[in-house]
Amino acid sequence: METDEAQRVLPFQLQFDKPLASHIKLAEWNPEKDLLAMVTEDSKILLHRFNWQRLWTVSPGRCITSLCWRPDGKAIAVGLEDGTTSLHDVENGKLFRSTKSHAAAVVCLSWEHDGQQTELVEEDLFTSNDPFFGFLAAPGLAFTADCHIISVYGFLNKTCKKNRNNFLNPEILSCGLKIQDGHGTVSTYEDRTSRFFPPPPRVPRMPGLVPGDTGFMDDGEDSFRELSDSSNRRFNILCSGDKDGIICFSIFGIFPIGKVDIHKFAVCTDNSLTYGLRNASISKVAFSKDLCHLIVMCSGELVENRVLEPSDRKMCRHDLLGSHCLTVNTSIFCTRKNELHQVALQASSIEDLIEVIRTSQSIMCKQWSDAMHAFHEKFDSLSTLIIDHGMDTTPQEEFLILLGGARTSPPVHQFLVSSLGEAGLKRVAKLVSAAGKEIQLIVLDHLQPAAEMIGFRMGELRGLSKWRSRFQGIGLDEKLIDNATEKSGMLLIQVERFMKVLSSAVQQFSNFFNWLLKSVKLLMSEPSDQLLPFSSELVVVFLKFLYDQDPIRELLEFSEADQCIAAGIVKEAFEMPFTTISKKIYCKNLLPLFPIASSAKSRSPIDPASISYYKEASLVGPTIQMCQQIDYVAFRIPDDSFSKFANCIGIVRGFMHQVDSLKKGYTTLEAVLLCVPDGYHCVDLSLYKESQIVLLLNETSTTSESSGNACMMIVQGNDLPFVSLARSTSLSCWKLHELKDSVVYLQMENEKVRGIPHTVVAPLAVSASRGVACVLAARKRALVYILEEDEDEISDAE
Amino acid sequence: IDVSGGPKLKQYGKHRESCLFANLPNYTLRGADASGGVFLRTDWQIQGYSLEQADVIEKHASSFPLNAFESILKQLQKLAPELHTVHFLRYLNSLYHDNYSAALENLHRYFDYSSGRYEIALLCLGMMHFHFGHPKQALEVLTEAVQVSQQVLFGGRWWVEGDRCFVRDGGGGGAVVRSSSELLNNNTQSDDNCLAYTLTAISNLLSEIGALNATGILRSSYSPFSSIGTSLSVQQQLFILLTRSLKRAESLKLKRLVASNHLAIAKFDLTHVQRPLLSFGPKASMKLRTLPPNVCKELRLCSHLITEFGTESSIMTTEGALSTSWLKNLKKPRGSLVLSQENVSGSDTFYFCAQQSSIPGSVQQLLGSSYLVRATSWEMYGSATLARINALAFATCYADTSSSADLALAYAKLIQHLALSKGYKEAFAGLKIAEEKFLSVSKSRIQLVKLQLLHQRAFHRGHLKLAQRLCDELGTLASLATGVDMELKTEASIRHARTLLAANQFSQAALVAHSLFCMCYKFNLQVENATVLLLFAEIHKRSGNAVLGIPYALASLSFCQSFNLDLLKASATLTLAELWLSLGSSHAKRALYLLHGAFPMIFGHGGLELRARANIAEAKCYLSDPSFSVLEDSEVVLEPLRQASEELEVLESLDFRSQKPSFQLYMLDFCKDL
Repeated sequence: METDEAQRVLPFQLQFDKPLASHIKLAEWNPEKDLLAMVTEDSKILLHRFNWQRLWTVSPGRCITSLCWRPDGKAIAVGLEDGTTSLHDVENGKLFRSTKSHAAAVVCLSWEHDGQQTELVEEDLFTSNDPFFGFLAAPGLAFTADCHIISVYGFLNKTCKKNRNNFLNPEILSCGLKIQDGHGTVSTYEDRTSRFFPPPPRVPRMPGLVPGDTGFMDDGEDSFRELSDSSNRRFNILCSGDKDGIICFSIFGIFPIGKVDIHKFAVCTDNSLTYGLRNASISKVAFSKDLCHLIVMCSGELVENRVLEPSDRKMCRHDLLGSHCLTVNTSIFCTRKNELHQVALQASSIEDLIEVIRTSQSIMCKQWSDAMHAFHEKFDSLSTLIIDHGMDTTPQEEFLILLGGARTSPPVHQFLVSSLGEAGLKRVAKLVSAAGKEIQLIVLDHLQPAAEMIGFRMGELRGLSKWRSRFQGIGLDEKLIDNATEKSGMLLIQVERFMKVLSSAVQQFSNFFNWLLKSVKLLMSEPSDQLLPFSSELVVVFLKFLYDQDPIRELLEFSEADQCIAAGIVKEAFEMPFTTISKKIYCKNLLPLFPIASSAKSRSPIDPASISYYKEASLVGPTIQMCQQIDYVAFRIPDDSFSKFANCIGIVRGFMHQVDSLKKGYTTLEAVLLCVPDGYHCVDLSLYKESQIVLLLNETSTTSESSGNACMMIVQGNDLPFVSLARSTSLSCWKLHELKDSVVYLQMENEKVRGIPHTVVAPLAVSASRGVACVLAARKRALVYILEEDEDEISDAE
Repeated sequence: IDVSGGPKLKQYGKHRESCLFANLPNYTLRGADASGGVFLRTDWQIQGYSLEQADVIEKHASSFPLNAFESILKQLQKLAPELHTVHFLRYLNSLYHDNYSAALENLHRYFDYSSGRYEIALLCLGMMHFHFGHPKQALEVLTEAVQVSQQVLFGGRWWVEGDRCFVRDGGGGGAVVRSSSELLNNNTQSDDNCLAYTLTAISNLLSEIGALNATGILRSSYSPFSSIGTSLSVQQQLFILLTRSLKRAESLKLKRLVASNHLAIAKFDLTHVQRPLLSFGPKASMKLRTLPPNVCKELRLCSHLITEFGTESSIMTTEGALSTSWLKNLKKPRGSLVLSQENVSGSDTFYFCAQQSSIPGSVQQLLGSSYLVRATSWEMYGSATLARINALAFATCYADTSSSADLALAYAKLIQHLALSKGYKEAFAGLKIAEEKFLSVSKSRIQLVKLQLLHQRAFHRGHLKLAQRLCDELGTLASLATGVDMELKTEASIRHARTLLAANQFSQAALVAHSLFCMCYKFNLQVENATVLLLFAEIHKRSGNAVLGIPYALASLSFCQSFNLDLLKASATLTLAELWLSLGSSHAKRALYLLHGAFPMIFGHGGLELRARANIAEAKCYLSDPSFSVLEDSEVVLEPLRQASEELEVLESLDFRSQKPSFQLYMLDFCKDL
């Protein structure tokens, strides 16, 4: 009994209590491993192991406003104040992707993968790969056929099972595979590229740079590649919300697929009034596990849109200024995930390759112009010399005379022997040939493979775009893709042509230098038999076409411009899915949560809130047990919101399905208010697993000299007396008012509570998958508690 | 004298003779004035001229004016008997006009007079035999060349003067390996090089004549294969030979040979499943597949030649090589780039580009060949886009330097692509352009592609008698000797069988297919096997024996998977789906599943016919699915049908006329039932 007592007092085991170097503003646990990512006040990202060993620190140099993990735990996404979202490698913190899709600070992120794994594995129709197996003998044939049939059946069964897990809807089961895409079946799709090509080329390195200078492109190349590849395995979507009420969606966190403005959402109520938001700022977004819904918490004014009477707009009676909760229907991501996945796979790779081409191009330009600059610097003095000697010939003519074997004119002699000299000539020759070689290698190793792979991938996309019934719906436009395919093909031809011209020019340069060197030697009466041979015809060609012209540069510039156009066309083709999908994302429901005093709005440290989804079994009817996802939204209600109750926490559940469930009659929108025990106030809260809520409470009566006390409390969510909220016809009032009589008062004695001998601060980082919580103390300390063990003992006790 | 008035061999037709005629006096003049010293031509100019002519002969092969050139050569010989190269040119000239005895005589003469090396002579002779289709003699002579060069090497005798034979490789799908010899006054050649060239020649020969033929020859011959060991299969021996000659060329820094070897290896990898030489035990890899990334890598390595040719001093452009051509080009109108639409105003850049590049012809030819191999490989692997683009790249960038046979091949590929994707109208328009361009090239690819198109069109229009006749005509293009022109022979047979099938003559079709299968099996044509197996499945499908057809379709699929023939695999999958569907409506779902798996391939890379078939099959699947209701979801059926009818209309297919109405009736019935 005594041990029981002890456990009651200390339900969560303290793992350690470590000092921190600075204040932490964001903290998130890795969903797969015991790793904690934190962001300091001065926007450094820290990654700590569970034993508090620090793995790395990265400073992006800009203010970080949000952070989340990729669902597989291999990458971290951070949202920056300037609207950029960056992805970092978990291994070393290196930045591997950065996109600016917002105009305002990205304040919240949610990254969820598809609950059912999309199978992108190669379709293995046969257990045996032996090509001769199939036809050697007739029995063998039958056997192969059987194998095949079995494998197909196996696949179908598997799919059905998965669907059952997720939806468990008898209707769905009865209609077989229809859920996947309306009327089709599930089909496997293979990205053939890796089967036909060696690994894709990468952005070439700027020569002459120390590896460290290239930023993220240095030694971690393999992990970088692995990261980009593995990100393409399972369908996932990163959603980011910004301060101005814009939500962006991107597949793999890379390929932008949608953008919505919550101000444009209109919510209809039954009495055909529509409401919209004004001056809204998003504070939290959370995807449901199946990607069908997105719950958004935002603050702003909820106003009635009166389209018919614009003059009345000022008359809006109830502008509800405060915090609201929205359900956004994103079911397009779920129903069209196979298609989206395939398109994103190809398109994001193509964009990568275009980047390779762009960088190669600029490096080549720089290399060549440097070399040409050096060449002209040396050789321009010849024309001045010619003028100085009072002659009116051109350098080319002078060289031709020299080539013809006539007597060397004084300026040429002076130029070759003194102003250029053998050493100078050799230096220029070396410079030009080195630059030429460098560019040739860039073309061969980067540009050409990239162009080839773009061509291939565009061809694959073209195939998809022609499957109208599937892909038109997500905005893959046949014509645009055709056009882009054509352009990308032309790119390949241009590259080849450029290469020919380049090689020809490089050869002629070196031929010219060889000849000149020989001439210099002859002029200086030195032996010249050890020199490389040259062709005098090529010297003539060189003088005519290359001496004072730069076709390479012109061609580079021309193709650069052309590539911009090509890239533009490709972009345009990819923009179609983006706009199409954006249109299909709409707001399903809206719930005003609590008012914010208009003065308080500017204050705006985001009020603690947490959104999570749980699978809950509920009995519907006498026989069928339904298992469905239920959403929980927990939030602290600011004290100045409602006059009737203070120091409260609100929990809303079943919001996501409110509309559907009304029809089907099982879940309803329910809510409960929890009142924090006297003497404490809530610092932060987080939904933990199995609908538990972890609360972090500070003692209010802190005497100034002591460090203060706090506690962490776990409340079992589904045991709470939820009150169902009637679905009213109007959104013009705060629904939580209805709960004023049924506030649940939490008692320290009745809950699982662990005292903390510090004053604590937000954020509270809780990991449902790992069963740990990290609490930050005001005096720069981090405390890690294990929630899990306690969990087991409780269940044992039961 | 206006040098630019030289042979403009690109213009054919009636101007040809007159041009040459106009050209002739130049040389007469030269000879006549040689003593006067007014129009003295230096040796290197003649050298350059002969080089250029050698290139031109190789390029235009049989379309090169035999007699006119012969007379020039004779005159040259008379005036400058010390010029041995003339013999060689005469050899080349007769070689490409298939005059065996004259070729042999001139070759002998050349090597007799020029005191050229014996092994090089043997190499040339070997390549000559190969050209005339005597693989056995060729191999014997080449083997002797290997032995001689080895002896010479070990004897430590180094030859300084030299001529060189260089094996050039014709482009894509089984084009002939042409031997070409460049006569250069190189003095750095060693026998090592000769050996390397000979080895490459042998490996090319072997890969060209196919495994079966080689077996007999290899058995009878002595070295260099005795060292490789007899336990290995012919393919393995060939592979070893290829890698060895690559290594040899690499160590000798013979860049062109290296590139040529990479190309040969790429071609080998394209159709060969690489088995480990020793494969026992549990750890032995059993992944029997071709490895396309290797093909890609080899081709890229081949392209590296463009950066490296400068370092192989022997490929340095010889004096005089450009003497006529670049001067001629100075007067060329600007921007005469073939097929490049975006011809911008003639800035000097494009002038420079259009101007003959200083990259030697042999280098360019190899580079161009790599594009043709690419195009072929993508045809096999199933990427219509890349196949087309690579053929187009070849036609754009290498039209000047490649042989007309290769260029015709590229055009043929482009025309076939047009037929598949845009229909016959456009394809015939393309063909017309090509025919004008290759007017004098009889029996060429263009002729072949014309027959192919005509057959396809007749076939689709349902003119089966005509189709049959065209198909027979196609067959006659192939040589009668066994083991030669295999590609053409299989194609003719397949077309024959298909035509019979369309006429519902199932047993005859099966008979043809059977003999074809036997032939493919005999000559180890694995890739063609897949097609023939699919043909069997089709025959069974049409004759109503779906159950018998399924195993064949599956076998074909299995082949396709091993050889990465994705497009063929997609069409085999389509056939399989159709077979399942014909087994009854309970299989409709499975058929649909299979179909949808193949859709991205079929739509992206398949031709019009395949696409239409796939769309019709999809609609059929929906309609026969008992749980599907047309009334609720009519668009699902109508959309593919609409798409199919669009495609068939472009194809001018009879199928279109017969199938579409039947479907509408079918749908009407269906609706009435409901």
